[in-house]
Amino acid sequence: MSHRTFLMPDVGEGLTEAEIVTWKVSVGDTVTLNQPLVDIETAKATVELPSPFVGVVSELHGQVGDVIEVGKPLIEIEVRDDSSSGATPAPVKPTARTAVFVGYGTSEENEVATRRHRRAPSTSTAFGPVVPTPSVASVVTAAHVRSTPPVRLYAKQHGLDISLVPGTGRDGLVTRDDVDRALSGTQRRTPSAPSNAPTRFVGHDLEPWDSGPKEERIPVRGVLRSMAEAMVQSAFSAPHAAVWVRVDATPTMDLVKSLKARPSLANIRLSPLVIVALALCDAARTYPGINSSFDAANNDVIIRRSVALGIAADTPRGLLAPNIKNADQLDLVDMALALDQLVTKARAGTTTPAEMLGTTLSITNVGPMGVDGAVPILPPGTSAILVVGQIAKAPWVRDNEVVVRDVVEIGLSFDHRHIDGALASGVLSHVGRFLSDPAPALLAR
Amino acid sequence: MNESELVQLVSPEGERVRHPDYESSLGVDEIFGFYRDMTIIRRICNEATSLQRQGELALWAPVQGQEAAQIGCGRAMTEKDFGFPTYREHGIAWCRGVPPLNMLRLFRGVSQGGWDPQHYRFSTPTIVLGDQTLTAVGYAMGIQKDGTDEASVAFFGDGASSQGDVSEAFVWAASFDAPVVFFLQNNQWAISEPSTLQTKIPLYRRAEGFGFPGIRVDGNDVLAVYEVTKRALENAHEGGGPTLVEAFTYRMSPHTTSDDPTRYRTDAEVEVWKHRDPIERTKALLVREYKYKNSHFEEVREEAEAIALKLRDDLLSLPDPDPTFIFDNAYAAPHPLIDDGRRDMIELGVSSVTS
Amino acid sequence: MTTTSLTMAKALNAGLRKALENDPKVLLMGEDIGKLGGVFRITDGLQKDFGADRVIDSPLAESAIVGTAVGLAIRGYRPVCEIQFDGFVYPAFDQIVSQVAKLRSRTEGVYRMGIVIRLPFAGGIGAVEHHSESPEAYFAHTAGLRVVSCSTPHDAYWMIQEAIAHDDPIIFCEPKCRYWEKGDVDLDNPGRGLFEANRVREGSDVTVVAWGPSVKTTLRAAEVAATEGRSVEVIDARSVAPLDLAPLVASVKKTGRLIVVHEAPPTASMGADIIRRLSEECFYSLRAPGLQVSGYHTPYPPARIEDAFRPSVDRILDAIDRSMDYGL
Repeated sequence: MSHRTFLMPDVGEGLTEAEIVTWKVSVGDTVTLNQPLVDIETAKATVELPSPFVGVVSELHGQVGDVIEVGKPLIEIEVRDDSSSGATPAPVKPTARTAVFVGYGTSEENEVATRRHRRAPSTSTAFGPVVPTPSVASVVTAAHVRSTPPVRLYAKQHGLDISLVPGTGRDGLVTRDDVDRALSGTQRRTPSAPSNAPTRFVGHDLEPWDSGPKEERIPVRGVLRSMAEAMVQSAFSAPHAAVWVRVDATPTMDLVKSLKARPSLANIRLSPLVIVALALCDAARTYPGINSSFDAANNDVIIRRSVALGIAADTPRGLLAPNIKNADQLDLVDMALALDQLVTKARAGTTTPAEMLGTTLSITNVGPMGVDGAVPILPPGTSAILVVGQIAKAPWVRDNEVVVRDVVEIGLSFDHRHIDGALASGVLSHVGRFLSDPAPALLAR
Repeated sequence: MNESELVQLVSPEGERVRHPDYESSLGVDEIFGFYRDMTIIRRICNEATSLQRQGELALWAPVQGQEAAQIGCGRAMTEKDFGFPTYREHGIAWCRGVPPLNMLRLFRGVSQGGWDPQHYRFSTPTIVLGDQTLTAVGYAMGIQKDGTDEASVAFFGDGASSQGDVSEAFVWAASFDAPVVFFLQNNQWAISEPSTLQTKIPLYRRAEGFGFPGIRVDGNDVLAVYEVTKRALENAHEGGGPTLVEAFTYRMSPHTTSDDPTRYRTDAEVEVWKHRDPIERTKALLVREYKYKNSHFEEVREEAEAIALKLRDDLLSLPDPDPTFIFDNAYAAPHPLIDDGRRDMIELGVSSVTS
Repeated sequence: MTTTSLTMAKALNAGLRKALENDPKVLLMGEDIGKLGGVFRITDGLQKDFGADRVIDSPLAESAIVGTAVGLAIRGYRPVCEIQFDGFVYPAFDQIVSQVAKLRSRTEGVYRMGIVIRLPFAGGIGAVEHHSESPEAYFAHTAGLRVVSCSTPHDAYWMIQEAIAHDDPIIFCEPKCRYWEKGDVDLDNPGRGLFEANRVREGSDVTVVAWGPSVKTTLRAAEVAATEGRSVEVIDARSVAPLDLAPLVASVKKTGRLIVVHEAPPTASMGADIIRRLSEECFYSLRAPGLQVSGYHTPYPPARIEDAFRPSVDRILDAIDRSMDYGL
């Protein structure tokens, strides 16, 4: 003998349950194939269910008036194993069918959903992007660079040509992290553009070497003129000096990465530059003398206890240095928002003159240009400018062992009329310590 | 029903009835053959209903009560004719040689058709009411253009007669003298709606208004249906154009297994028609006229039983198609969306097909 | 607040009953909707209570059901046409797209086409051919028509009443595979308007838009996704045409990812249109292209393999995977 279960069928296209109206058999009864077992009432009709098995009834599931769900056991029948195949059909499968449920309801949707099938990772192409796949980190032309709109916007806002950013995402996709890496200089820029491509020159498109005129005159106007005048004024009034140092910025990179993973900070553009800005403001609090200017007309040095933090921005119009007022008062989130807004406006060309006035301290980030350091000229009226090079993997000696770390070179140009090397070195070392161990410094604020 | 309007050759009691225009050409072996056909198709139908109640078919459209209409017509059709059925023409399918398992494929949910329509010269079911009547007219126009002596048969019911397509089919068949027989089984009920909602006059009389002959036959008299259909087909074969044959019958069962006829018709009405049961009528004729004995009928019953059990076994061992089957015949030529879909399904692992 | 638990079928029945009570001009027309109560019993008992003059068993001709509704509407009635199954609507297609959709415009606003065409649609009930189709895009494509779909008994109860009271023609898509599922119906408060979308699950990683039968499937997929650490926001569009765009835009701007789930084939579908609209509105917020989980570009398959055709939990999860794969 073997045991067969007759499940409540869906007798009317999509029904979910039925009520037992009359049992026509009892436990112990012998039943023949198609012998009426029970009358059931559904939302559509009352119908008689015939036995799918030949055998002896061993259990009835439910009393008259009980409602049984479609697909749940209705009656158990003991079947003789040696019965001819015609009289004992294959059992109605008690286990859920995986495909569809002809006669067994709309599907097993009242059970806990689980995932049955998963696409193999290597084959996700059917409805995926159709652009031919460049190999990871390969150079792709601007027209075919693969990225997503928010990342394109992000790169554009930061003045980065996304076609020069190697993509590490799926199928060579340029991700936000790739752009960040490019911005912070951990990825070397790809070689210069082909000689037949136009290049940029302080806000102007220059014809390619081969096709442009042999000699070309560009009027010094607008941003170019402002830049020229400022540099001349600064360079020939303030005697410049500089200090620099190499810093293990790995903790800063780790911090930025962990902050970006927080859902609450998802919409904030975090980059190492935010930490640098906080570090410089923190240094100014410790060494107020650095946030100063030399008033030659009155033979005074003016110390200011409020930082208007200038950020040199490479814009389509040329170099601009708008500032963040009261930057020393900002916490990490506000600093990030302020920097984002400043850069966005600068790229969009909507920076107002007021936003460029009154700078007290400055940062220039040359990392995205793929260089380690620079000796910047002071913006007029200021006494120090911090330069940040690219953050790149480099050997670093720690605990007498060579390890690979994210290393950055930072430097400080200063007005040597009133700032000596000791003060400048103190400020720069402070910034360096901050970047090497940002968490305690941030917590102390 | 006005009895005088209807061609009948055997009474419900199994007595011969004289008709001025028609007489039976059949011998006893053929009549017994029709009895066998009707008995087997009813048994297949009952097995299918049970299988639906046991969760093995999604749906079933029973033919009980209409066996004489279908066997009479199906046996009158010759090999050269081509039929366009609805979803209830199981008796016709039987006569065309369609294996019973194939009749169940649609209702099992493994196919939207079920058999090779060219092989059996019998199309797969059309479910949208009346659509196939225009198809049949078009097929008949093709016969005409080819200059052969075939005919097509359009099957439909009293309900479908209200569809615009059916009237359009009548217009076209008449205008082009198409060799088509419109075989209308008036089973009195379109699900819950009586045929009186579809028509104020006997349906066969509609043909006259379109310009071709219509005739009503007792659809529960297999001999009469055979003769009337045979003559309509011969007329078409000979270039005589269309005929509307209204087989006046009764759907003894629910419309489908999803239906509940107790909501809209009385037991008394069903009892009246039980008295006109087509199988009992033929049996009565065989007993009365040819002295057939129970052993004859028992032999047929056993054969029908064996066919039904084999059908059950075959159905329960019918494999489900691979899900990628859905991509196989949507287009004749390669199609990129089909390729995409098939690849997607295989990649997701829903299909057992891996390449 | 009066709340009761009903199946969607009963909720539609109750909503139709209210509409018949509230406006004597409301008529129901369709095949088998009288004594039988319709093949899905949605109109059960209504002919008995409101008479055969108002709950009309029609001859079997869909073109005529809709075509005569046009005349009745001109005459000031509010016909509610039941098409027995989705796949039977095509004989009426000409009347719907040529007359119902255009008469108001053609008469410069004189004719009011306050007609509701009820369409039990989509699959999942193991039915035979023409009983499982999702034709909403055909109608959404046609100017002059509105297309809505209910996903719960509560919405069914209210949306059918609002649709009947509305002065534009509405294709009312009823998910037949949800007819027998129960849900709470608040009999006092609809909660939202007929043409408003409903955020049915809040999430932050990806927005999934669905309607009708696909809403529940999507919610089930969202539950599984949550166990995989993904936060899925689910929006029931409710009004397929016109779309209630603002909540969709807000959601996609938040999540940056969009998936549309429906049973209709993918080509020229409502999913395609929703992705187009949101690509325009949210271009710089999209972290991945909008994806569609839909039927395939094939006729609706035989019942035993229909679950491979319909959007399943697996296929929705796969789309979520693919969307997330595009990186941040």
